[in-house]
Amino acid sequence: MNSGNPTIIIRIVLGVLYLALTVALFRLQVVEGERYKVIAERNFVRIRRVIATRGEIYDHRFRPIVSNIPSHNLYLETGKIKNFPALSRFLEQHFGISEDILQQNVLQNRFRTYEEILIADNLEYEQVLGLSESLNYFPELTFRIGTTRKYMYSNHFTGYVGRINETEYEKYKLEDYSINSSLGKTGLEHFYEVLLRGKDGREIVQVDAMGRSLDLFRRDESIAPQNGLGLVLTIDNDLQEFTENAFPNGMRGAVVVMDVQSGGILAYVSHPLYDPNIFMSKISPEQWQELNTDAKPMMDRVIHAAYPPGSVFKPITGALGLESGVANRFTTFSACTGGLQVGNRFFKCWNHAGHGKTNIIDALKVSCDVYFYDLVQKITLEKFREHTLAWNVCTKTGIDLPNERNGFFPSSTWYHKQYGKNISIFGHKINLSIGQGEILTTPLQICAMYAAIANNGLWNQPHLLKRTVGRGMLTKQQLSATTSHRLPISLETLRIIQDGLYAVSNAPGGTGAHVKVSGATVFGKTGSAENSMGKVTHAWFAAYLVKEKPEIAVTVFLENAGGGGSMAGPIAGKVLNYYAGNIEAIKKTVPIPLQLRNQEELDSSIESEEAETSETDVEQLSD
Amino acid sequence: MINRKKFDFYLLAMLIILMLAGCLAIYSASTSKIGDNVSTQNHWWKQCIFVFVCLFAIYVLLRTPMPVFELAVIPLYVLNMIALILVLFTPAIGGSHRWFSIGGFNYQPSESAKLLTILVVSRVLAKDNLGELRQLLYGFALVSVPVFLIIIEPDFGTTLVFWTSLMAMFVAAGLPLFFLLLMVSPVVSIVFSIHWMLLLLWMFILVLLLIRSRLSWVAITISGIANLFAALIMPVFWNGLKDYQQSRILTFIDPMRDPLGAGYQIIQSKIAVGSGAVSGKGWLEGTQKNMNFLPEHHTDFIFSVVGEEFGFIGSILLLGLFAAFFWRLSTAVSELKVAERRIATAGICGYLMFQSFINIGMNIGLVPATGIPLPFISYGGSNLLINSMAIGVVLKFLNERGFMK
Repeated sequence: MNSGNPTIIIRIVLGVLYLALTVALFRLQVVEGERYKVIAERNFVRIRRVIATRGEIYDHRFRPIVSNIPSHNLYLETGKIKNFPALSRFLEQHFGISEDILQQNVLQNRFRTYEEILIADNLEYEQVLGLSESLNYFPELTFRIGTTRKYMYSNHFTGYVGRINETEYEKYKLEDYSINSSLGKTGLEHFYEVLLRGKDGREIVQVDAMGRSLDLFRRDESIAPQNGLGLVLTIDNDLQEFTENAFPNGMRGAVVVMDVQSGGILAYVSHPLYDPNIFMSKISPEQWQELNTDAKPMMDRVIHAAYPPGSVFKPITGALGLESGVANRFTTFSACTGGLQVGNRFFKCWNHAGHGKTNIIDALKVSCDVYFYDLVQKITLEKFREHTLAWNVCTKTGIDLPNERNGFFPSSTWYHKQYGKNISIFGHKINLSIGQGEILTTPLQICAMYAAIANNGLWNQPHLLKRTVGRGMLTKQQLSATTSHRLPISLETLRIIQDGLYAVSNAPGGTGAHVKVSGATVFGKTGSAENSMGKVTHAWFAAYLVKEKPEIAVTVFLENAGGGGSMAGPIAGKVLNYYAGNIEAIKKTVPIPLQLRNQEELDSSIESEEAETSETDVEQLSD
Repeated sequence: MINRKKFDFYLLAMLIILMLAGCLAIYSASTSKIGDNVSTQNHWWKQCIFVFVCLFAIYVLLRTPMPVFELAVIPLYVLNMIALILVLFTPAIGGSHRWFSIGGFNYQPSESAKLLTILVVSRVLAKDNLGELRQLLYGFALVSVPVFLIIIEPDFGTTLVFWTSLMAMFVAAGLPLFFLLLMVSPVVSIVFSIHWMLLLLWMFILVLLLIRSRLSWVAITISGIANLFAALIMPVFWNGLKDYQQSRILTFIDPMRDPLGAGYQIIQSKIAVGSGAVSGKGWLEGTQKNMNFLPEHHTDFIFSVVGEEFGFIGSILLLGLFAAFFWRLSTAVSELKVAERRIATAGICGYLMFQSFINIGMNIGLVPATGIPLPFISYGGSNLLINSMAIGVVLKFLNERGFMK
């Protein structure tokens, strides 16, 4: 049994295969050709993307911060265009879409997607109503309802969403983004994009003109969209609103309120404000102008800008003196005579009258610069730098927001690079000791530092997300654990620093003595930082509140506003008082509302429902 | 080096006609008409340049002295295998590691592996006094290396091409047909292992066939056990796969399982071809490509454009062109007297034939498989280059057929 002539065998196989193709082609093109012609002409068969609803954002008591509202969008199906000039005129006249943009959509974008192209979004309902009639002349255009975002109040942490741009599309197209997609551009919308967006579904449309199914697909396997997760923040809307109102009009600056125990942010204010809602529709040139003034309302002054901290930095210098044995609770240095003569230079204290001899407690209380000038001379810059960095005031805190800034603390290498090999750095070091000179910190870094002092030296990573709700119920810790670390100081040192901060607000003559809360104790520190932005100092007030145990840390920062005690102090006082007055309402644990729970868990079985209820019970018990 | 008297101008002419037909189809596939707005992407003139590059490559191949050519085959094969290993470490494109991207050019090592494996296997099979079992064994071993590496990429479609060319080479090597049966039998066993009754029936038939072919009882027992083993190991192996791996394989076998992905493309391709009806809509007049349902319509789905614009008549014409082309190739198998060259030509003919059948079959919903381009017609430089080099090799063999070995 030999295989015989290979030529013959190959030809037999060729004949069989090609005969099969011919028969199949005959059936498809000759027998069923007319039917397919009709299907092809009417474009009955297509896949439509069903856009997942983006997760909403709530405060910690499940009150909305960002919600979805319906929006009207205009889609273009390029393959159906019959009269290009007429379409171009129509779009130009009613939607302000220039011919160039239309050309671009028709000639470039359409090659990237099998979908209709979204050419105008968030249209006014009146406009949609008025033009519905005219759309009959343009079968290539369709109005479709989608959702858009509504931001409940102006703020800098939610960020906003926007249409995907060229670079983003190239970067993310493999992650199921289409040229029609929206994505988070800044803030939480950007940071938690993966959680918020959900997963788009797909719908197979295969009906003829009469609405009958064409049965081209054996199974109609549409994929339902999976909605995005809702975010529950640590923000308290009431406190946020109060803080925002407490902020003086026309000033620039920031206020942060942070929970000492957890690191959760309760209020997050940056001024001037901007309204994220304006990005939801076309921005007018006037609006654009407003956003680009010198005041830079778009800038988040809590984390995107770093400033010299001034005297709010002094606890770090003081603690270093105590830790390294240069000083103890009672050590005094040179008497303050309105300044200190070091070599041939005179370093001024803010108080020209002078403070006399002070120990650490008094030095913090009256914010005497001379104490720290003298102290830091006994310590090398390297050691000073190492100690400061361990407090995490000059490095990113790692808050769950994009583009956080580092602060800055110079090293001697940096000085030599900047000013030459032979300069002496002792003068710079003396400036750094009171938080002046090259050192830069963000208000959030200062707030986290004071929270750590309140929290017995345990530094907690600040964060905004508390948990997710909806399809996935995850706590922040399950998503990505917040970090925490000990400050580089002993408990003894910490107590001394705390006593100093206590004296600031509670002892007579303290720079923050006017900041008081009845029924609770304020620990604070004022700061008036000289800066290169203007003649007037930046006003700082950093404080924390203790009621039985440490509660919140508040940092107020005002750009070029004047003295910390007089300008920033009162705002911090108002916020602290409001918190102390509403502490029960703010700290009350609210059970997760039913509609925000995992649908599957609710529906599936009685067992899981029981588990849900018992969970609720536990939560209510913990109240 | 080129002997004009013996040069096969007919085969070369067929090749050029096919490639030009490809350029025409690609021109149409990358042109879209919207209203009065006509735009053409630049695929077609790239393909025209590729055609010239390919013809030049064939010319260089023909001018290369035969000894140099024969010396180069094995080192190139080894290099190719190394490239197949290295390509696994490239970043994944669309979920698989198939391409090296060097300065805008994409090189797919599995393409060149097809031709080089055929050349190496044919050399081994043509060795004198090699027993039939050894032929089988060596053939399998040599093909298994690239197939294994390509499965990891993963690219199932391409691996099928290797097996079909191996079958064609076995036929040309004069291996008895029942050996081929033995070769195919584990595949059948694996497929039939879905139900024990089917498996039992198949085993019965297999043993009967083996007895009829007067094989020794030892051989029958061994092959029987091997088949049973393959059938029994399969469910274990299958269950060991991850869900996504299983569904990837199932989708390859049955694209309609994925109606939103591959299945959708096949439906749209069927609509396009079907709507061409008898006479077609005319060149550049196709409408389905304008809807952009088929992102691949200048590559894997190029036939849908041909079918839509030239209708049944045009499709049959293209099939006829291919048939004539393969007819000439199959004639060459008998004409060549040197065993190695005869076997290689059969392998080349086999793989091109198989690809053309699978691709067209896929375009009209006859064959459930994806990811194989249409030789000489689909857009793609490296694919076109390797396919025309394969024909170049046959031309070279034919040009020297007077030398006996």
